[in-house]
Amino acid sequence: MGKKNKRFEHESLQDKDAIVCYLKAVIQGFKKGAIEVSDEEDTITLKPEKLANLKIKADQSKNAQSLNIKIQWSSDQSEDFEETPLFIDPKTPKKKKKS
Amino acid sequence: MQQPASLYEPLRFLTLELQKQLYQVETYLESGDLSQAEQSLKRVDYIDNHHLNLLRRISEQTKTPDQTQPTDSVTLQSYDHINHGLKALSRQLQAIVFQARNAPKTAFRLLNKKRVHATFKHLTSGLELIEPAIEADDSTLAIDICRLQVRIDQVCQAQLDKYQNRLRKGQQTDALLNASFIVRDLGRLGEALLRIGEGIISANLGQMIQIERYHSLEATLSALSLNPQEEALTIRTMGETKSGCTISGVMSSQESEGEMLAVFKAGDKAKLKEEKTGIENWHEVYPGIAPQVYSYHKSGNKAALLFEYLTGDTLEKLLLERDRKTLREALQALFQTLDNIWQETRIDSVLPAHFMRQLKKRLKDIYQVHPELESQSVTISGVKNANMKTLIDQAEAFEQTLTTPQAVYVHGDFNLDNILYDTLSRDINFIDLHRSDYTDYVQDLSVLMVSCYRLNRFGPQDRKLIAQTMLAIYDYGHSWAQKINDTDYDLRLALGLSRSFLTSTRFVLDASHAKAMQFRARFLLESLLKLTPEQASTYKVPKEIYHD
Repeated sequence: MGKKNKRFEHESLQDKDAIVCYLKAVIQGFKKGAIEVSDEEDTITLKPEKLANLKIKADQSKNAQSLNIKIQWSSDQSEDFEETPLFIDPKTPKKKKKS
Repeated sequence: MQQPASLYEPLRFLTLELQKQLYQVETYLESGDLSQAEQSLKRVDYIDNHHLNLLRRISEQTKTPDQTQPTDSVTLQSYDHINHGLKALSRQLQAIVFQARNAPKTAFRLLNKKRVHATFKHLTSGLELIEPAIEADDSTLAIDICRLQVRIDQVCQAQLDKYQNRLRKGQQTDALLNASFIVRDLGRLGEALLRIGEGIISANLGQMIQIERYHSLEATLSALSLNPQEEALTIRTMGETKSGCTISGVMSSQESEGEMLAVFKAGDKAKLKEEKTGIENWHEVYPGIAPQVYSYHKSGNKAALLFEYLTGDTLEKLLLERDRKTLREALQALFQTLDNIWQETRIDSVLPAHFMRQLKKRLKDIYQVHPELESQSVTISGVKNANMKTLIDQAEAFEQTLTTPQAVYVHGDFNLDNILYDTLSRDINFIDLHRSDYTDYVQDLSVLMVSCYRLNRFGPQDRKLIAQTMLAIYDYGHSWAQKINDTDYDLRLALGLSRSFLTSTRFVLDASHAKAMQFRARFLLESLLKLTPEQASTYKVPKEIYHD
């Protein structure tokens, strides 16, 4: 059922402009609702939910500084769960259409 | 109660020595024979030895439990309790001997009375009962030991009254005073017996009890014309509430296997009084939803409440069992019931819930359990993130701008486990009604929704059903809001949810779960405070927060 965890990792040296470029790409991805990362073998498409945990960490030492931004959301790929609502208002029946 | 050899043996020796001491003191008072007094005082050394030995063994068992036959902590406490009770008894007997040695001969004649003999008889049988009571399967004998205290108290009091009358005549005052002191001390020996019986009952019940509570249980049961001494009746500990009340189930074994007859709740008088008032109010405003109160009994600052045992499962159980069909049925019945209650209990006054005020009151308690949740304000590249206190202050001001519909009678502690659904009769019942009052209906809905979220289940299937249940409650509330033209439903609900998300962290020990709840509480307030008046009019609580 495609339960295998997928993982992508990338590390490189970049100048300021390039970093801004990457960050912008991520921002665009968030706005679109899909962030695609891929290497030669595989592609991962992350679909950010409306809500996500945002963790920002800054470290400063004598020799180095770092900024960690972690954005995490739960995703749900299992489909074997009944989705009909537990409450249906008898007066204003809801259309259960999924597009 | 359990009889681990290492504890039971010294206890039996201790009891045996006490019986001797008691006998010698009795003979001394009867005969005035000083050698008996000496003998009784010598016993004290033996008694001390056994007492200390037992103390040491209890502490050994507590520190390094016997691996092959572990003794539960309540039993250990019970042995400790009995040990101290016996030691107290011995010390008081000793004091009586000291008193009597300084008394004039005539005092002994004054002590040669029917009631004094009766007191010794009661004490003797009390000590004799200890072993059988420990070995018995039920608490009947232990209760008998406790009852002796009342009898001893009564006879000694009667004897003291006699002495007092004679004292008024002004004769034999010295002897009468001495005899009075001795009888008063004898009367106090009953206290020690009470503690001993209490220890045994505690071990049997599986929790330390104060006999005042058990007395009230008896009084309560006799009001129901049930007798706890009848073998047919058993009392089983069911748990403890967050407010520290103990809950027991009263069952009859005569009828079909362990059928529950009633629920017995004992504890703080103020709390139980609130509960009783809550139940009574419900009977008035909406009969049939609350359990029947069979009896209420108070003594000092303790009280006991005996009420109807309602059949059915809590919604919490239905949700956790993931019995979707029954859960949906139960929710349907619940919503129908709420419709009726809100319809019928609506009053003219508007009584806002003041969610932020409620939250402020509990902040200290929350941070006591989860100090890590107390956030500071931060700024990230100029984007400001206020601390929780500031957010709450601002949200409180925002809350005051909202419209609240007319107040209805709400449960006040509307958790999933305070709602019962009977699958057969399809009835909904409420329990734990000590906080019921008139206010905004959103109070109950927000508490109910968060009581789903806070459940300690993390399987994806569980979380999904939890989110769906929360959504169902939201949708139901939304439909009600439309019915009564409540335009600020979502805004008030968001405040209520925020309040409950944060306050409920007190009951959640899982750190990441607590954090998720705090995040939701914050998120809701932040979103509300960002709204323009226009956005506010169309604001919807985002259903994403129901998911993990």
